[in-house]
Parts: sequence; C-alpha cells; structure tokens
Amino acid sequence: MEWTSHLLIAPIVLPLVAGALLLMFDERRHTLKAAISLASVLTLLVITVVLLRFVDSETAMTSVYPLGNWPAPFGIVLVLDRLSALMLVLTSVLALAALIFSLARWHKSGPHFHTLFQLLLMGLNGAFLTGDLFNLFVFFEVLLAASYGLVLYGSGQLRVKAGLHYIAINLAASSLFLIGVSLIYGVTGTLNMADLALRIPAVAAEDRMLLEAGATVLGIAFLVKAGMWPLGFWLPTAYTAAAAPVAAIFAILSKVGVYVILRLSLLLFGVDAGATAGFGSSWLLFGGMATIAFGAIGVLASQAMGRLAGFYVLVSSGTLLAAIGMASVSVTSGALYHMVSSTLAISAFFLLIELVERAQDPAANVLAVTMEAYGDDMDEEEAPEEVGLAIPGTLAVLGLCFVGCALLLAGLPPLSGFIAKFALLTAMIGGNENAAMWVLAALLLLSGLSAMIAMTRAGIRTFWAPIEGTVPRVRVSEIVPVGFLLVLCLVLTVQGGSVMRYMDATAQSLHTPMNYVRAVMSTAQVPGPKAAESQ
Amino acid sequence: MAKDTSLILMIFLPFIGSAMAAFFPSNARNAEAWLAGAVTVCGLVLASMCYPAIVAEGPVRAQIEWLPTLGLNFTLRMDGFAWLFAMLVSGIGFLVVLYARYYMSPEDPIPRFYAFFLAFMGAMLGIVLSGNLILLVVFWELTSIFSFLLIGYWYHNANARDGARMALTVTGIGGLCLLAGVLLIGHIVGSYDLDVVLASGDLIRSSDLYLPALILFLLGALTKSAQFPFHFWLPNAMAAPTPVSAYLHSATMVKAGVFLMARFWPVLAGTYEWFWIVGFAGMASLLLGAYFAIFQRDIKGLLAYSTISHLGLITLLLSLGSPLGLIAAIFHMTNHATFKASLFMAAGIIDHETGTRDMQRLGGLFRFMPFTATLAMVASAAMAGVPLLNGFLSKEMFFAEAIETHADSILDRVAPYVAVLASAFAVTYSIRFIHGVFFGKLPDDLPREPHEPPFLMRFPIQLLVLTCLVVGIVPGLTIGPFLHTAVTSVLGLATPEYSLAIWHGVTLPLLMSFLALLGGALLYLLLKNYLAHCEEGPPYFRQLKGQRIFERVMVAVSWRGARFLENRLGTRRLQPQLRLLVAVALIAAAWPLYHMSFGLAAFSWNLDDAVFSGLWAIGIFCAVGAAYQAKFHRLVALIFLGGAGLVTCTTFVWFSAPDLAVTQLLVEIVTTVLILLGLRWLPKRSEEFQTDAIRMAARLRRYRDLAIAVAAGGGMTLVAYAVMTRAAPPTIADYFLEKAYTEGGGRNVVNVILVDFRGFDTFGEITVLGIVALTVFSLFRRFRPAPDSVESPEQQRVQNATDEARPDRTAGETVSDYLLIPAVIMQWLFPVIIVLAAYLFFRGHDLPGGGFAAGVAMAAAFILQYLAAGTRWVEDRLRVLPLNWIGFGLLLAALVGMGSWLFGYPFLTSHSQYVELPLIGSIPVASAILFDLGVFSLVLGATVLMLIAFAHQSVRRLRASRIAAAEEETA
Repeated sequence: MEWTSHLLIAPIVLPLVAGALLLMFDERRHTLKAAISLASVLTLLVITVVLLRFVDSETAMTSVYPLGNWPAPFGIVLVLDRLSALMLVLTSVLALAALIFSLARWHKSGPHFHTLFQLLLMGLNGAFLTGDLFNLFVFFEVLLAASYGLVLYGSGQLRVKAGLHYIAINLAASSLFLIGVSLIYGVTGTLNMADLALRIPAVAAEDRMLLEAGATVLGIAFLVKAGMWPLGFWLPTAYTAAAAPVAAIFAILSKVGVYVILRLSLLLFGVDAGATAGFGSSWLLFGGMATIAFGAIGVLASQAMGRLAGFYVLVSSGTLLAAIGMASVSVTSGALYHMVSSTLAISAFFLLIELVERAQDPAANVLAVTMEAYGDDMDEEEAPEEVGLAIPGTLAVLGLCFVGCALLLAGLPPLSGFIAKFALLTAMIGGNENAAMWVLAALLLLSGLSAMIAMTRAGIRTFWAPIEGTVPRVRVSEIVPVGFLLVLCLVLTVQGGSVMRYMDATAQSLHTPMNYVRAVMSTAQVPGPKAAESQ
Repeated sequence: MAKDTSLILMIFLPFIGSAMAAFFPSNARNAEAWLAGAVTVCGLVLASMCYPAIVAEGPVRAQIEWLPTLGLNFTLRMDGFAWLFAMLVSGIGFLVVLYARYYMSPEDPIPRFYAFFLAFMGAMLGIVLSGNLILLVVFWELTSIFSFLLIGYWYHNANARDGARMALTVTGIGGLCLLAGVLLIGHIVGSYDLDVVLASGDLIRSSDLYLPALILFLLGALTKSAQFPFHFWLPNAMAAPTPVSAYLHSATMVKAGVFLMARFWPVLAGTYEWFWIVGFAGMASLLLGAYFAIFQRDIKGLLAYSTISHLGLITLLLSLGSPLGLIAAIFHMTNHATFKASLFMAAGIIDHETGTRDMQRLGGLFRFMPFTATLAMVASAAMAGVPLLNGFLSKEMFFAEAIETHADSILDRVAPYVAVLASAFAVTYSIRFIHGVFFGKLPDDLPREPHEPPFLMRFPIQLLVLTCLVVGIVPGLTIGPFLHTAVTSVLGLATPEYSLAIWHGVTLPLLMSFLALLGGALLYLLLKNYLAHCEEGPPYFRQLKGQRIFERVMVAVSWRGARFLENRLGTRRLQPQLRLLVAVALIAAAWPLYHMSFGLAAFSWNLDDAVFSGLWAIGIFCAVGAAYQAKFHRLVALIFLGGAGLVTCTTFVWFSAPDLAVTQLLVEIVTTVLILLGLRWLPKRSEEFQTDAIRMAARLRRYRDLAIAVAAGGGMTLVAYAVMTRAAPPTIADYFLEKAYTEGGGRNVVNVILVDFRGFDTFGEITVLGIVALTVFSLFRRFRPAPDSVESPEQQRVQNATDEARPDRTAGETVSDYLLIPAVIMQWLFPVIIVLAAYLFFRGHDLPGGGFAAGVAMAAAFILQYLAAGTRWVEDRLRVLPLNWIGFGLLLAALVGMGSWLFGYPFLTSHSQYVELPLIGSIPVASAILFDLGVFSLVLGATVLMLIAFAHQSVRRLRASRIAAAEEETA
C-alpha cells in the first residue's frame, strides 16, 4: 500500500493520538496542552482538505481502506467518498473555530477539555468514514461519550441537569441502535454497508418485515440524534446549556444523524433496493416537516438567544430530513449545501452568543420582553434628542457578526443561507408537484421568516435597546473564529458555482449507490504472509 | 469603457464605497460626504455613458457566472426604463448626500450612516439593473435590510426601533412572497433570465400557476410600495433621519414596488385578476392615503401618507392594463420622486431650524426663511397638481385614463370620482402644509430661533424644484426623449402615440383638475380651524391604528402563540421524552410487522429447556424487581440488578461462550461495587412526603408506563424469537470461524474477532471506556453532595458514639477496626489477583481471557485495596496514575495499529507466529498481543479512575468536615 492511502485513516488516528498524548501531561500545563490540541486540529484541517481535493479530482471517486487487511464484507472498511470528505472538512473547520475560541478562557475551566475535544473529533471522523454498521455504532459511542463529557464541561446546575437529560436520552437511543443493528444482522448476516446493499434486495419476502422493523428502530436512533419531532426536545436545552465552544462543535453533532440517514437511506433503500426501495422516505418527509414547524415555533418563542439557536438546529435538521425524504438528486444537492451553510452559521452563532451575553444583565432581558409583550407604554416615551450614538468598536464588530448570523439563519441574501434556501426551493418546485412539496416549500419560507422576526427582536434588544449594558470584554482570539466561520459562508456564496458543482456530484453519486458498493466489494487485500499462508 | 464593465462598476462601486465609509473616523463628516458624493457622481456618469448605446442598440448587458446549474447568474441588464431609474437613484442619491452633510449633527456617528446609505444605493441599483429574477430578489431583500438599518439609525429612540422593525417585518414578508412568486414564474417559464421571462407573457398568463404566482408577486411589490393594506409601516418609518426619508421613502425604496410592477407589466398585466387586485390596492391607497395625509400634525407624517397616495395613483395606473396608463405611471414615478424628495428635504430643514415638525406648533416661517418657503411652495404645488409643474402633467394623464373604460366593473366606474376626490384631498393637504408652516401666526414657543439654512443644504431642493418647473413647462424638450426610451423599452412595439404637451385644449381631464383644485381649496377653508387643534390622525379612523394592530398581531402570533404552541407540542422534562422515545420506537417497529402479518414458528418444548427456563425466570424476576424498587430502594434494586447480571453470565456459560461469561462476570462485579460506592452520595428518597392525590396520579402514570414497558419488552421478545427461529442466512461469522486460526493465529475465535478481525471496533470501544472514565472523573471533581448526604453514614455515627460513650476507647477506633480480618485478607489478595490477571491476559489468544478481562480483574485488585485500607493508605504506598495508564493504553493500541504501516499494510493488520522460548517452549506471539496490552492498560486505568473519583469524594468530605470542625473550635 502506498503511503498516501494511509492518509484516509489519519482523521481518526490523529485526534486519538493527540487525545491520548494529552493525558500523559499534568492538568496544569495549559499552554502545552493547547499547543498539542491546536497542532492536531490544524493538521486535521490540512489532511481533510487534501482528502477532499483528492476525492474531487479522482475519477474513481470512492476510496476504500480495509482495516487489518481483511477483505470487504468480513473486516471493517473505511470509505472515503465525496460526502464523507465534505463532512470531514466541515468537522475540522468547526473544530478549528471552536478550539481557538476556547483557548481564550474556556479550556481552563475544567479538567481534560482538550482530550475530550480530540476524542470527539475522532468519533465524528470515524462515523463519517466507516463503511460498517457496527463500527458506526462504535464511533457513535465514541462521539457520544465525548459529548457527554463536553456537555457537562464547565459544570453548573443548569449544565449538569441538561447534560444528564442529554445522556439519558442518548443512552436510550444507543440501545435502539444496537437492537436495530442486531435485527438487520439477524436477517442479512452482514454488517458491511455495501454488502447490506447487495443482500437487502435478496431478502426473502417473509423476512422483510423483520428487516424493516430493524431498519426502523435503527432509524429512530439516528432521528433522535438529528432531533426530529417528537424525539428532539432534549436538543435545544442541551445545546443551550453547553459551554460556547462545545455548542459550536455540537452544531455538527445533530448533522451526524442526518448524515447517516442520508447515507443509509440511499445506499440500503435506494433505487436498487428492490421491494424495500424508498423505505421510510415519506416518514422522513413528514417528520422533517413537523420538525421544521416545531423548530420555527420554538425559534419564535425563544427569549434567550441560546435557545433560539438551539431551536434553529431543529429547523435545520428538519429541513434536511424532509429534503432527504423528497428523494430527488437535485433536492439532495441543495440539502447538502444547506447543511454546510447552516452548520457553519449555527456554530458561529453559538460562539457569538456567549460574547454578546457576557455584557448583559439577565434582568434587562426580562424587562425588555415584558415591555414588548404589553407594548402599551411605547408611545408615551418622550422623543429624545435626535443625535445618534457611536457604537463602541467592539459592539460594532459584534453587531456586524450578529447581522451575518441573522442573515444566515433567516436565509436572507447575500450570504449562503439564501443560496441554500433558493437551491432547495428551486429543486423542489422543479421536481414532482404534489401537495407535500408545496407545504414543505411554504414551511421553508416561513421558518426563515420566523428566524428573521426572532433574530430582529433579539438583535434590537441586545444592540439597540437603550437599557445600558456594559460593553463586553472580548478578545481578538474569540471574535476571529466567529468571523472565520462567517467569512466561509461568504465564500460559499461567492464561490457558489463550484460549491454547487461539488454538491451536485455528491448527490449524483449518493443516488447511484452501485458505484460505492462496487468500490467497497472489489477492494483487494494487500497480498502478504496471510495470503501466502492460506494458499 | 466597455458597457458591461460600467454596469458591473455601477453595482459594485456603492458597496465598495460603503465598506470604505465604515472605516472612517466617526467625525469625518466632510471626507464621508466627499466619498459618497464621488460614488454617486460615478454612478451618474457611468449610467449616462451607457445611454447612447441603449438608444441605438437596446438593452446593455453584463454577466458573471455564479450558480449556472441553478439558473442564477449575476446578470445585469440596463434598458431605457432601468436607465431612467438608475439616473434617478444616483442623481437623487447625490443630492441627498449633499443635504445630509449639513443635516446630520456633528455628534452623529457618520460612518455608519454613509456606509448603510451607500450600501442601500447599491442594492437599489441592483434591483433596477438585475437581469435575473433571483438576483433581483437578492437585491430586493438587501434594500429591506439596509432600510431597516437606516430607519433604526437613531436606535436609542424607541420609535426608530419600532419603525425599523415594522418596516423590515412587512417588507421582509413581502420579500419572501416575492421570492416564492419569482420561483413560480421561473418554474413556469423554465428560466430565471429576465429577457426570457419578459418574452413569455402568454405562457405565464395561461399557466395554472398564474394566480398563485401573481398573488405572491404582488404581495412583494405592494408591501414594498406601502400600498393598502400594507401601508402602515411607511408613516412609522418616518422616525428615520430626514435624508433617509427623502431618499428611501420618496425616490427609491418605495418606488421599487411600482418599478417591479411596471417591469413585469408586459407579462403579468392585462388579466382580470391583475386588474382587480392591483386596482383595488391602488385605489384604496390613493384615496385613504390622501385623506389621512390631511389630518397629520407631523410634516413628515403628512408627506408619508401623501407618498402612499401618490404610489396608489401609480399602482392604479398600472392596474388598468392600457399602455397609456403605463406611460403615465412611469412619468409620475419620476415626477413624484423629484417633488417628494425636495419636500422631505424642506421638512428636514424646517425641523432642523426650528426643532419641531408639528404643524400645530409651527407658523409664519415665511418671514425667516423666504427662500426655502418659496421652494417648498413650488414643490407642494407640483404635489397638488398645479399647472405648469410636472405633477400636473402626469395627473392630467391619470385623469384621462381614469375616465376611460378598461374592464367593465364597479372599480372602473368609480375611478373618475375617486380620482377627483383624491386629487382634491391632495390639494387640501398641500395647502395645509404651506399655510400651516409658512403663514399665519408666528409661534412663540419654538425650541430654536429659525433662519435660512446654509446655501449648500438648500441647493438640492433648488435643483429638484427647478426640475419640477422645467419639466412642467417644457416636458417635450426635457424629459420627453428619456421617457420615450423608457416606455419603449417596456412596451416595445406596442408603444402607442402619446403627447406630453401642457395644453390639450379644454378637455374633461382639465376640467377635473380644476374641480379638484377648487374643491381642495374649499375643503381646506372648511377644515382650517379644526386642523389647527385636532388630534393626530383623521376623524373616525383615529382609533384604527395599523401600527397598533400590527404590534398586537405580532405579539400574539410571534410571542404568546408561539410560546403556547411550544409548550403544547414539546416538553423540557425528561420522563415524557423517554416515554415518547419508547412509544415511537414501539409503534414504528410494530408498523412493518403488523403490515406484513407477523407470524412465529411453532413453539416446541423439551426437558433441557426446563432448567434454562427456570434460570431465566429468576433473571426476569430480578430485572423486574430492580425496576420496581429503583425509585425508593436503590440498594435492593442494585442487588436485583446483580442477580439479573449473573443470570446473563450463566446463560453465556450455558451456550458455551466462556469468554463472554468471564468478562461479564468481572464487569458485573466491578460495576456493582462502583455503583455501591456511588449510592452513598445519592440523597434519600422517601414515599412519606407524598400526598394521596399525588400518589394516585403517580400510580396511574406508572401503570401506563408499565403497559408501555410490557408492550416494548414483549415486542422485543417476539422479534428476537422470530429471528432466532428462522433459518440463519449465510453470515460473516462463518468466515471468522474458518479463518480464526489459519489467518488470525488464535484458537479463541472471540478473542481473534476482538483483537484482529474487528480489532478496530475494540479500538473504538476502549476509547469509549476511557472517555467515560474521564467524564465521571470530571463530573465528580465538581460534585457537591446534597445536604442530607453530607453527614457520615448512620453506621459510622453509631460506631463513633460507642467510642465516645466508653472511656477506654478513643473516637474512630471502632471505625478503623471494622472488618479487620476481611481487610487483611483483601490486602493479601493483591498479588494473587495480579497473577490471575496475568494468566487471563496471556492465555487470551487461544483460550477464554484477554486484555479486557485481565484489565477488569486487575482493577478489582485495586478496588479491594481501596476498600480494605482506605484511600490514604493505598495512595501513600502505590503510585496510582490512572490517567497515564489510559493514555498509555490508547497510545500503545494506536502505535500497534500504525506499526503495520511500516510493512505496507493497512492500520491494525496483525501478524502472528510461534516463538521458541527456552524452558517454556513454543508459544504463540501475535502483534495483537501488544494491542491487547494496550486494552489491558486502558481498562485498568479507566476503572481505577472511576474508583478514585468516588474515593477522593470521601477524602474531600472528610477534609471539609475537619476544616469546619477546626473553625468551630477556634470560634
């Protein structure tokens, strides 16, 4: 095997080694630990970008890595295709932003931040790379375990309570995951996803119900992760309670569920799946729509910005699930764009919220909302002297970032949120016309509207309301990550053409899963002593 | 310069200017004005340069590829109509920049103003020049956003905040509708390109989707142009600085709506639906706007309602579907922009010089500012439609159209009367403005002493008023050719003959004009006294405030309603969420089973099963008992749990899986002990505090949960039974059995699977264990026990009390002697267990055991030490470094995995062979054994880390209580 082909596993091994290495040093050596962590994340970013460029250039778009040199359906394989490469890059981008942000102060406020962070990255990357259903479970456990540690990170009553809820729900979902995997294994006798795709069409008619029951239970485990209504009530609370850099990296956690559903529904129940083709897609469509509606309502009803952001995660998940449920290539392509854009936006927003709220007096919030809700004494106010106030520099920067986040969340131009919405809508309207599609289109627009109203309300209260707040003390290293993520959204917009081309290619290959299956199943063992022995 | 470059520059220059303006120091008024002025002049020059080409060759185009696959490109297109608007936007932009230089106070943070202003101008030019429908929506939304920021410029003022928010909400909703409408149009046509769409009128009008597309499109246009019933945001937007109002609310933003309707007039207009919707909105706005304007006290309020009315006029003209109506509409757009911008500026000067805009407080200003007064009078006359001014010409054309019959309906029949009435109102409010402000009694309580403004502040008004006059007197020589270019670019070959002359002879429209002038003047005389003292707002309609209704609706929908729904549709509590999860999983899994008629293989019974079934009956009893007791009797529940675990363990033995049995047994032991240690810190729970009612409700809830649990458990059993009783498919397990020894080098298939075939899973799972240990440790470090579990346990208290009661014993002696003999045995077990662990470890590859089992066993040795001798004693004697052990384990496992890279194999490829050792003989050595060592180290480290998390909690508590005691003594 060539050296470069080992690069495929680096996104898993690198954070693991970094995380383990961090454990060997004393807790008080903050600088050293920060340096190791940062070096790991930077390297990760470089590697993932290299991998992305590799899959995008290569004619054989799927590369496979057989672990332990065992052939495909028997051993575990890692599979790199456009989708997984995209998710890897997205993860490392968020990781970089969250890590730099945390270095200003968060990483010192509890034990083992960096280790947990690195192992979370390992879990995420593993989940995106693996081509084996049980191995996926393992990496889900890795990332969940690390997220348990991180959601509790920083302590405090609220955090511990929300964190324990999070843990309880996700443990229950993990059991469902296991049940689902065992049922599928019991029916098909394999765990390799590509092999499953081959065996599912051949499943006997009387066994299909067991297969479908297993797939449903498995799906529910992922839907819990993605936050689909009515399984996602834990999400806003947990994300709000988490420390800012943790919430920022959590932005991708809900997308893991979406990723798996996208991957598996098209691979296992795609066009070639015979009798089970299209299994569950209408459930995804309607569940997704319910999630958008609930998320949008929650966004409107949110007083604190953190909760608003948490509910927006639901809106974003719902949009993606419903889009997957549409089962059309162009909608999938739009959904992928939406996923990247909304993940970056949510992450930036979670970081920003902490900076903005630093200066705020919680009592002022309550007062402002009461005034707004009863709105009666508005016009009795004397018109004050009409001379504007100079926004202090920090507030101006924060305000600019806030406007960026608001535009992204509400899907307003000129940032990528609009492009995402447009791409989804134009693909949907261009496809089959049916009632569900129109409802979904309306929900997409309305969810953007609710985000706009809620963000305007929050922004006015924070930046414009005359109740005097002190200007927050913000370090450059805290605002730079926010700006970095927002600039990436701008790049997504300006470079929309080439980004969309990548997404189109990704969606196309997802909808023709046979290439993936062929690539995995034809992976050759590296000839060596074992092969020699057995001959 | 190439035409396409100049188009692109026209759009980008304002945005570049905006970015630059943001970085100027906050007092750089002159520099900012120069910058903004330069940008606007550039816009003017660039647009003018394109004019000859437009006349000669038709539209000028430029295109940058953006998202070609989605049909969205950065396409710019300037035809005559767009050119007219581009000139208007840049020209009035220039004048407003000049005006703002003098209007804005030196204390105002001016960079923000100019940055937003220029960006708005760029967006407005974008709307005008867009050659792609989606691009147009992009700029459309941008104008909403920047208008929000501009209206809220003085955000410390509550009215500005509310006005800005309302404007954004209304126009934002409109923008979304427009997007939807444009998507539909694009879907019908198959392209978002403006040229293609403009050429597909018949296709669009005959489509099934025409009506929804039209409604959505019009919602966008009408909200933007503040047309009834969406007009209410405009008066509230008057909280903006006056230059903003002069620009946005006269010449540009509100014009975007009518611009759009005119732009798409060739494809959308001419149908019955168009006529009704647009016509009704236009007529209502025309009449109501004019009527409301009369009764405003605020000058800017008057002008705002007047704008609504004039835009209503334009809308009405567009609704008619006649080419002449379109011509009149376009002509009135330009005329209105000139006179309304100058009037807003005049209002700003009055406000600036006197400190108030309240017409009841103002009066007699002619004496102090005759020049400004004259200009305002001319502009007002244009607004009222007095002959020799531009407003008159377009109003004449309007009257001429109003008396024509277009679509025979009630709307058509009342049009002439409405037109005259609204014009009369316009005359009335124009007179009111002039008379109320410049004539009459001089007030004595003005905040400031009024005087003429600086020349340059007045200059923009002068220029605009001059335009009104010149266009009004010689229209054919001035605006004529440009208007013609604009009109032909919209209408194309369908452009009818029309004449811009002032005098068409004594015609009906002329008569209507005079009627309106006369009627308006009379009405003012009648209302004069009332207006001098009335409240704000028109009689009867005063209570009906669009703003208040809007606020109420917003609060109801977006706040109360949303909160209500959120609470109804969601929950923040854990139990309902878990219940939902189980119920959803149950229903979802039962669905396919029910659907495809689930059946089971026949159940058979033989004697062997009896023992096994008995075993499982015990297991089930234990499991149910654990659940039953979990709430109030945790210890009992834990014991039951242990029983269930043992049954599982025995099951593994029964089915000849000794590996699993060994591992399960060890894990059971260690986890039970760890949980036991943790129980001590949980607060007591007692049933006694509950009232009967609560108990009843709780019982019902638990019965329901029991039913769900029974259903889920039963379902699981049935499914498991079904899977186990069917013929097994060919599985990958066959391969493992076959290759474990030949290629994996081990006879213990389970171990070979764990460390070789699926070593990567193990690799992941040990990481999980390590992370969990870290999490438990971190959580406990900040753990503060509940107040009622801080005290020593009851047994220790009794033992200490005994010590104190007896003189021959010192306190703490009984506690330390407690379980003395077992403690000694436990200490001596340490080396024994180490040997056991080593044994388990080394035989792992061929026989039951392995790194995991060995690690757990080794951890048990540590647990015994801690239990027997206490934390202090152990840690004084042993270097317990669980963190390092975890780290080492992970690193070793990773290094073993990476080692195979050196030989050109994938990660974790194992290698095995037999090694001859002296004395011992031939033993199997696989690289997997090093991996297993990593597993061992990690499992040991993780378990011990959790152990010391508990152990140190006790130490901390002791320390805390000792400090407290010491403090009490000193006190």
